[in-house]
Amino acid sequence: MSLFRIFINQDDEDMATSKKVITRDEWEKKLNAVKLRKQDMNTLVMNFLVTEGYVEAADKFQRESGTKPEIDLATITDRMAVKKAVQNGNVEDAIEKVNDLNPEILDTNPELFFHLQQQRLIELIRQGKTEEALEFAQEELAPRGEENQAFLQELEKTVALLVFEDASNCPVKDLLDISHRLKTASEVNAAILTSQSHEKDPKLPSLLKMLIWAQNQLDEKAVYPHINDLSTGQLEDPSE
Amino acid sequence: MPTTTSSSSSSAASSSGNRQADVFSRLASSDPEVKLKALREVKNQIIGNRTKKLSFLKLGAVPAIASALSDADCSSNSSILVQSAAALGSFACGFEAGVQAVLDAGVFPRLLRLLTSSDEKVVDAGARSLRMIFQSNQAPKYDFLQEKNMEFLFSLLNSENENVSGLGASIIAHACGTSVEQQVLCDAGVLEKLVLLLDGSLSQREACLESLATVLKSNPEAVSRFVGLEAGRYMSSVTELTKDRYPRTRLLSCLCLVVIYNTSPSYFLNMGTKSSLVTTLLELLNDPGQSGDEAALGLSSLIAEKEDLQKLAYEANAIKNIVDILKTGSELNPKRLQGLFLSLAELCSKLEDCRCSFLSLEMLDLLVNELRHKNADVRTAACICFRNAARSIKNLSAGRFTTDHVMLPLVQLLHDPSSSVQVAVLGALSNIVLDFSSPKSTFIEYGGIKQLIELSKSMDPNTRCSSLRALRNLMFLADNNRKELFYSEVKAQGFVALISDPEPSVQEQALALLRNLVDGCINSIEFVFDEDGLILDTVGRQLRKAPQAQMAIQGMYVLTNVASGTELHKEAVMQQLFPQPQAESNNFMLKFLQSHESQLRSATVWTIINLISPSSPGALDRHVKLRNEGIIPQLKNMVNDACLDVKIRIRTVLSQSMSFGDN
Repeated sequence: MSLFRIFINQDDEDMATSKKVITRDEWEKKLNAVKLRKQDMNTLVMNFLVTEGYVEAADKFQRESGTKPEIDLATITDRMAVKKAVQNGNVEDAIEKVNDLNPEILDTNPELFFHLQQQRLIELIRQGKTEEALEFAQEELAPRGEENQAFLQELEKTVALLVFEDASNCPVKDLLDISHRLKTASEVNAAILTSQSHEKDPKLPSLLKMLIWAQNQLDEKAVYPHINDLSTGQLEDPSE
Repeated sequence: MPTTTSSSSSSAASSSGNRQADVFSRLASSDPEVKLKALREVKNQIIGNRTKKLSFLKLGAVPAIASALSDADCSSNSSILVQSAAALGSFACGFEAGVQAVLDAGVFPRLLRLLTSSDEKVVDAGARSLRMIFQSNQAPKYDFLQEKNMEFLFSLLNSENENVSGLGASIIAHACGTSVEQQVLCDAGVLEKLVLLLDGSLSQREACLESLATVLKSNPEAVSRFVGLEAGRYMSSVTELTKDRYPRTRLLSCLCLVVIYNTSPSYFLNMGTKSSLVTTLLELLNDPGQSGDEAALGLSSLIAEKEDLQKLAYEANAIKNIVDILKTGSELNPKRLQGLFLSLAELCSKLEDCRCSFLSLEMLDLLVNELRHKNADVRTAACICFRNAARSIKNLSAGRFTTDHVMLPLVQLLHDPSSSVQVAVLGALSNIVLDFSSPKSTFIEYGGIKQLIELSKSMDPNTRCSSLRALRNLMFLADNNRKELFYSEVKAQGFVALISDPEPSVQEQALALLRNLVDGCINSIEFVFDEDGLILDTVGRQLRKAPQAQMAIQGMYVLTNVASGTELHKEAVMQQLFPQPQAESNNFMLKFLQSHESQLRSATVWTIINLISPSSPGALDRHVKLRNEGIIPQLKNMVNDACLDVKIRIRTVLSQSMSFGDN
């Protein structure tokens, strides 16, 4: 009869009575039985530092823990310089640095190249250099639209910035937002990582997502202490 | 946007033009600092920018950069070497005119030398630019058969530097063409070297997959060698890579498997592998970039001629997926269009369900549009699609293909400058003209007969053959009006030319056409007697020349049909079979009766049946003649012929024979 309750009745209380209950003690005992290797955790930390580009931290961590970074730290420095340049709005500088790092990246990534050119135009508009912006749009962006029809829509959006007197209040003002710089910076970062055969996303977030998913799945079958705050990882007793 | 560029371009273009001219002149500076700066500027302007590549090309930048590289090579100025090599590599990247210019500038040997530099950055730059060159069709031929070339190639593959090993794989992928080259490479152990790259970086993996496909293509020995490596470990790796996170890796591994499947299908006994290969390629069709283009061609290659895979693809919703992509409205790359149409054509080649599904999705309009595409390969693929869809008798007789809207553009393609398009549209028309549902033929109204006859005189034998096949279908069960209309355009002389064509396949179609022409009512037989029996004489002459079986079959059916007529007709056939005086016993009838081809034996027996059918007055005399020539005795020996059809006809003859009082 209790089995029936689970399927028919979605009420929490009813479910609580028919689910397996695990006390905190039992839970901690189970957790302690799981064996982890220190070096796996070190690798995870190193992976995070490297992918996010924290060169100094990665270097120090390497020296203190002996964990080898999966890629040459020097390349991280280069990559971070590019990312930083875009985040500061120095797109031309970023392009030069990317080309020094690996000339194939922009030659084989038309979408990325277009977005960088687009960002350049946005920066010119932001600085109020309207004439230069217009010239740049005609000389550099228009050909991208001609070379590849897929970019035309975004191109039109960007050029619309030039049309409005007060660009910061027009329908496409989001383009002027700093977050757009960050988006472009992220795109370049990912492209460089890919070209170095490095995974563009760190592993740590995936593990945390897995944890949350697993807890959600387990919730349907048992009552047990949760980790609700990922930043502290504290076990909390289930609420009554 | 395009309008603004063109109208106010004068000021923008001239100032940018000036800037370009300025940086170009600094390239020639004797001051290395200035030169280096100019090189970097050019490089940074052209990377990713096809338009700039073109305009710098026109200024003559490539020779200028090439000479900068040569000078730097002599003076070992690394920075200039790196920048100039990178710039040249960018010119060659995906830009055919750029590759041409780089090769014309004679800088290829210099780039090779960069690979031996002690400076890693110089090596990288050189390797990258060479790889770009080798991805083009214009790359210099690499002679794998020369030992020192092989040594060099292996030194590349053995390198720690991923750009250099990638270059080695790239050379193989794009320059290996013949089976001799494949053999030489395999014997030298290239497979063992290439598979090591599978565990390497992304670009090494991709280069490896591309080169594997080239070495294994249509070469069962190479395939078996590859599959045998470490007990199939690498074959499994490639299969695993079809689920890789990067689309291009998935594509290249799929293409590799397609090559293996087409060469040695026995390695794919597992239905699951076949199925996942089909579904992965279908998914990749949606990729907007180059991977999607190549996936379409890969899919068509995989399912070609394989009904089981076509069924798998159909069940995986291939038709709907492809049609959705075609209907997106955005301008699709010609290579992708070609691949998609060829895939659809293969799907419709044998399965009626596919054809009906395809036609029910309102695709005819779109297909008709693409008949006017500027790329010949796309037009050809669209025609093949039509041809296969028209195999659906249900849709054909519903008149879907014979509307003006469809017929007119198809007929117009008969004048297409490309012969592959002509052959493809002839194939489509051959099927479409078999629509018996309507009394009038749109095709004929559009002057189709004249055009087909024109094409039967083409220089290209495939075109001649295909046009005759279309005419043959047009004359199948045709009424007298249509036959007269046709014959008036060809006349006896025309027919003689067709039957005497140098190509056996063309002769065969011509005779098949004649067979259909004289079939039916007795009046039709008169065509072969036109101009003193010119056509009939020619047929007889060709049959006496020891023709190929397929041709002989059609020729004998012509005689069968003629012999089904009046006394005069039958006597005329006897004249052709046994012309007097006969010096050697050149009795082709006997030879045909002894042929391995059952259809030929059958056709010959049919002729005999018609010649001695008891209802006609001269039958007895003809029977005597046939007996004296050894024909009837030969038939008696064939009473137990292996082919049932032949056996039955022989029984008919022998019973007719008995009615003449023969034993």
